[in-house]
Amino acid sequence: MTRPPPPDPPAESEPPGVPGFRTWRSVYLFVIGWFVLLVALLAAFSRYFS
Amino acid sequence: MNLVDWVILLGTMLGIATYGSWRTRQVQSLSTYLKGSRSIGWGTIGLSVMATQASAITFLSIPGQGFESGIGFVQNYFGLPLALVIVCAVFLPIYRRLGVYTAYEFLGRRFDDKTRLLCAGLFLLQRGLAAGVTIYAPAIILSTVLGWRLDLVIVGSGLLVIVYTVTGGSQAVSLTQKWQMAVIFGGMVTAAVVLVSKLPDGLGVTGAAHVAGALGKLHAVDVSLDPTRRYTLWTGLLGGLFLSLSYFGTDQSQVQRYISGPSLRESRLGLVFNAILKIPMQFFILVLGAFLFVFYQFDHPPVFFNQSEWRRHAEAGHAETFRAIEERHEKAVAASQSATRAWLGVRASDDPAAEAAARTAMIEANRRAEAVRADAKAALVAADPRAKTKDSDYVFITFILTELPHGAIGLLVAVMFSAALSSKAAELNALGTTTTIDFWRQLRPLAAADEARNVRVARWFTALWGVVAVSFALFAGFAENLIEAINILGSIFYGVILGIFLVAFFFRRVGGSAVFSAAVIAQAIVIAMYLSLSLGYLWYNVIGCAICIVASLSLQAVLGPPTPRDVTRAA
Repeated sequence: MTRPPPPDPPAESEPPGVPGFRTWRSVYLFVIGWFVLLVALLAAFSRYFS
Repeated sequence: MNLVDWVILLGTMLGIATYGSWRTRQVQSLSTYLKGSRSIGWGTIGLSVMATQASAITFLSIPGQGFESGIGFVQNYFGLPLALVIVCAVFLPIYRRLGVYTAYEFLGRRFDDKTRLLCAGLFLLQRGLAAGVTIYAPAIILSTVLGWRLDLVIVGSGLLVIVYTVTGGSQAVSLTQKWQMAVIFGGMVTAAVVLVSKLPDGLGVTGAAHVAGALGKLHAVDVSLDPTRRYTLWTGLLGGLFLSLSYFGTDQSQVQRYISGPSLRESRLGLVFNAILKIPMQFFILVLGAFLFVFYQFDHPPVFFNQSEWRRHAEAGHAETFRAIEERHEKAVAASQSATRAWLGVRASDDPAAEAAARTAMIEANRRAEAVRADAKAALVAADPRAKTKDSDYVFITFILTELPHGAIGLLVAVMFSAALSSKAAELNALGTTTTIDFWRQLRPLAAADEARNVRVARWFTALWGVVAVSFALFAGFAENLIEAINILGSIFYGVILGIFLVAFFFRRVGGSAVFSAAVIAQAIVIAMYLSLSLGYLWYNVIGCAICIVASLSLQAVLGPPTPRDVTRAA
């Protein structure tokens, strides 16, 4: 059998390595904020072109 | 299609498949074969997850959905970003920490073998049948409009995907999906550019959006609380959340795409990539469909877009009736075009009363044209009760074949095949892996140490599922309504499977016996509700999941504390 890959470090201790984001929590908050913005833009889009 | 189109189509398809097979020809490690290379980055993982979800039907049917019903379908994806955040934060770290090959292997460790086999079995049943549809559904549309033999399209595309998936396993799937997505993005942007260039002079993108909006095609968000409406903000948020959580968190065809990668970070970023881009991508495809509707407001659309079906019945003794409908349609379309142009003219002026009157006239003229299309469908059914009356799947491919220049036609047909092969490959890979890991290795535990034998067995099971899918696709034509039945089957089972996983993750004190019994009870209730109620199918994901969790907690309370074995597993 080949040697199994090394285990991951604890989930929250690994930094996301994305400029502007120091924790995964901030990445998730960005995703949720982006989603809310998209829904708001879609609602405004529907209203503008109706 | 001419020679240039054929060169582009075959060059793209065979080139990507050959590249995938050649790059992965020496894969001998079970981990690489089933999980993919440890060196792939988050971009490849993200594209692979996206390609797995986006089948050919996405690119054939969704523009048709935008054409016929508008862009409200985008709400179906509203639960997806939230679900992917939960998968990133909860599901993924546990899968990676345990080093599992399949999501169901985790259930075996957390609960017991019977719960693992129940979920793995439901996955094989549902995904195994769906794999046939993944080949059949685009093949029937493409063979109809291109005049190719259906069986050759099914066998040809099926064999191609089987060869590279069996050869290189998960690594080949990820590699080829990356290039197939490049073809898909390139092709869809090309189609959008050509479509906009073919709109009437002076209309432009904004004018087209105003026409589409005035005719009710750009209503993206519906806040209605009516539970029988299929797509609303609430069904999207709640039903879509549960459906996406179940699909991305527990369906092996997706789990296998993101548990690979060198680190947890790469897998998470691949999922975040999808959480950010999926809704804009679906919006783009739906708006393309709404703009196709505008294009045909100024062009000469056929009364029925599946022209092959229409002509077949017209030539079978109904020529006069069908010709009369075509003439009525031509007149109605001409009136609708005049009314649309009149509205656009008045819109530029500052006369709200005239604008409102012109808008009403345009909507009414459009309604009359749509009524003739409905009459055409009724005439088809009168001529043959088994006639296929859903023609929205044929709208985009009709535009491609009649309006795009040669070369672009080949590229767009390659888009459809790329999408079909990419989702098919992920399905075969997952079916082969689940059969090998969750069933074969369970029955032959001593064989687990022989890595070369495991890879050989995984290859054979992948090939076997490929043959099953192709065979099912060849016979699916005898039972058209199977496609809808399989989609419903997924919705009925997904909720309960998700319930089992949520209990596993969040309710540590529930043991295997309680969750297994609860899953059986929940599944029976969902099936009984489906047979007796008329409810939007997305709701069954929520209901099945909720019943499974509540019943698990209740049964565990009745049974008493979990056995020591359960507690050990949960720890």
